[in-house]
Amino acid sequence: MAARAPEWAAGELQPHRSARVLALVALVSSLIVVAATLIQIGAGSYDMTWREAWAALSDPALWREPSVILRLFLGEGLADRLGCATPDAIPTATLIVWTVRMPRVLVGVLVGINLAFSGCIFQAITRNEMASPYLLGVSSGAGLTILVVLVIYPHLGVHLPLLAMVGGMVAFVLVYAIAWNQGTSPVRLVLAGVIVGAVAGSIQTALHYLVTDITVVQDALAWTSGSLVGVGWTQVRMIAPWTVLCVTLALSGARYLDVLLLGDETAKALGMSIERARFLLATAAVLSAASAVSVAGLIGFVGLIVPHIVRSLVGSPHHRLLIGSLVAGPALLVGADAAARLALNPLQVPVGLVLGVLGGGFFLYLMRRKRDFGRL
Amino acid sequence: MSEASPQRDPGEGELGLSARELRVRYRHDRPPALDEQSITLPLGQISVFVGPNGSGKSTLLKALARQLSPEAGQVVLDGRDIAHYSGRELALRLGILFQENSAPNDLTVEELAYHGRYPHRRLFESLSEADHQAVERALTLCGATHLRHRPISQISSGQKQLAWIAMLISQSPRYLFLDEPTTYLDMAHQFDVMNLVQRLNEELGNTIVISVHDINLAARYADHVFALREGRLVASGSPEEVLRVETLREVFEVETRMFRDEDTGTLHCVPLGRSSAGPEHETPT
Repeated sequence: MAARAPEWAAGELQPHRSARVLALVALVSSLIVVAATLIQIGAGSYDMTWREAWAALSDPALWREPSVILRLFLGEGLADRLGCATPDAIPTATLIVWTVRMPRVLVGVLVGINLAFSGCIFQAITRNEMASPYLLGVSSGAGLTILVVLVIYPHLGVHLPLLAMVGGMVAFVLVYAIAWNQGTSPVRLVLAGVIVGAVAGSIQTALHYLVTDITVVQDALAWTSGSLVGVGWTQVRMIAPWTVLCVTLALSGARYLDVLLLGDETAKALGMSIERARFLLATAAVLSAASAVSVAGLIGFVGLIVPHIVRSLVGSPHHRLLIGSLVAGPALLVGADAAARLALNPLQVPVGLVLGVLGGGFFLYLMRRKRDFGRL
Repeated sequence: MSEASPQRDPGEGELGLSARELRVRYRHDRPPALDEQSITLPLGQISVFVGPNGSGKSTLLKALARQLSPEAGQVVLDGRDIAHYSGRELALRLGILFQENSAPNDLTVEELAYHGRYPHRRLFESLSEADHQAVERALTLCGATHLRHRPISQISSGQKQLAWIAMLISQSPRYLFLDEPTTYLDMAHQFDVMNLVQRLNEELGNTIVISVHDINLAARYADHVFALREGRLVASGSPEEVLRVETLREVFEVETRMFRDEDTGTLHCVPLGRSSAGPEHETPT
């Protein structure tokens, strides 16, 4: 204990320090998102300089007519019904930026938020620093469902997000049931997640053999590696409502997450209905993770790493942790996607693969660095 | 709310906490951990449950605080069946400190104390002046104001226990339950905790229930002692009435000698050794 004395002194400054660190996290993350956005917008087969990219992004032809942006966001059907203006002649650069490249960044931001929040919630309700949508089987379940739909029931494609959520929920319940033995422990949960993940992964691979059409195989491969290639406004519309729902629920439940970290007994003694709170929060986490999977495929490690990094910077209280994750999640995802695009230009590497490499390395670092890693 | 007149609350049923024929069983193939026991807690006093391991003292304490659901029997809190309170309503009246606690490593003493305000706040309610005052009062009472920004993982176990009690005080319930609060502490911190408990009782008029192993702590701080053995209350009364050589032989299976300190008038217990007359079989735990 005596050896830790200097840290006590550091602890005295904590409240002010944490707030400043949080502001710094927000600033750095925002800068990463902006830089990555400019890279994404400038890159591609239709090459643009940064200046042109910026000009297209801030094209007054668009900004003077907000209903055009609204039309992009809402889609043709809903926009027509609401009577949004149809755009006149728009420069090619602006058109490419706003219909192809911008939505990709937006989807990246939303997926980043969803995965990071899902990770924060899972880590709090399982009191386990290793918990993440990936490790708890949610991603595997949602991913398997997507492959089943793609390969066996392609006509159900329109319901993909909903089906992915059901699949994610089922897998999560399964993992919890396997791990349950008069309560769960971090190790049991992780092992159960490995079991469900292994089975789901094998079935996913097996499904590839059923496919005769090579494009479906490519499609399936993109899903399982996790990619933002080819996402558009449709995907923004698919995920945005769930992001809003999950963020609202998690932020308003920050205090509940904090109290849950004191353990079930104490949370109950303080008057919390822990089963109800945990179920609601878990549902929000599953929905947000599964909706992320349904637009971007299986992207691992974001839900694990982001909460971890942010927690080590701003501490475990959730009002800070969640705000930090709200900006750091998009930064990691959009940043990695920009790196994926630049890495083997013009070949586009799926962002999930970049994050897999980054995440594996980070995990290794954690295990070497922190001996008590895993406990929350 | 509880500062001014902690024991009076007009428009309510009769104040007090009592249990009737309470039976608790942890496993169906085992004898009950608490076997149809009835008890009435003396209001505004410090009650201490004593007994050997597995005697049911923690079980009784948790059952009275609705932390365990009894197989049979009923607990009545302030004139109402305790099962009918919502979690929040109960937490406003009754707080409990568990034997073992855990919190995130970087949680500070002050942040922990603020968690005690949980039942006082609704979903979207932010911290009120009453919340801040309650936390300040709790930290002051516990002598933990200088520790407020220290992470809980970096203070001694005695200070940690005081921090958890600060959370309990900021919750400001009328009934405080402490399950073996001194078990893992050194002697100085045992006195810190027990002196604090005494202050809570004297200054705030709280009704306090504690379970302990240590007969001497019970002798010194209890207004009322309940002795348990094998899930049954075998003796109850003032320390002088309960903490007698014969009772201790029956309850703990040890031979003791009891002294009264001439200066302070406090009762002291010196254990001499294992009793030979006691039952041979081990108490199941």
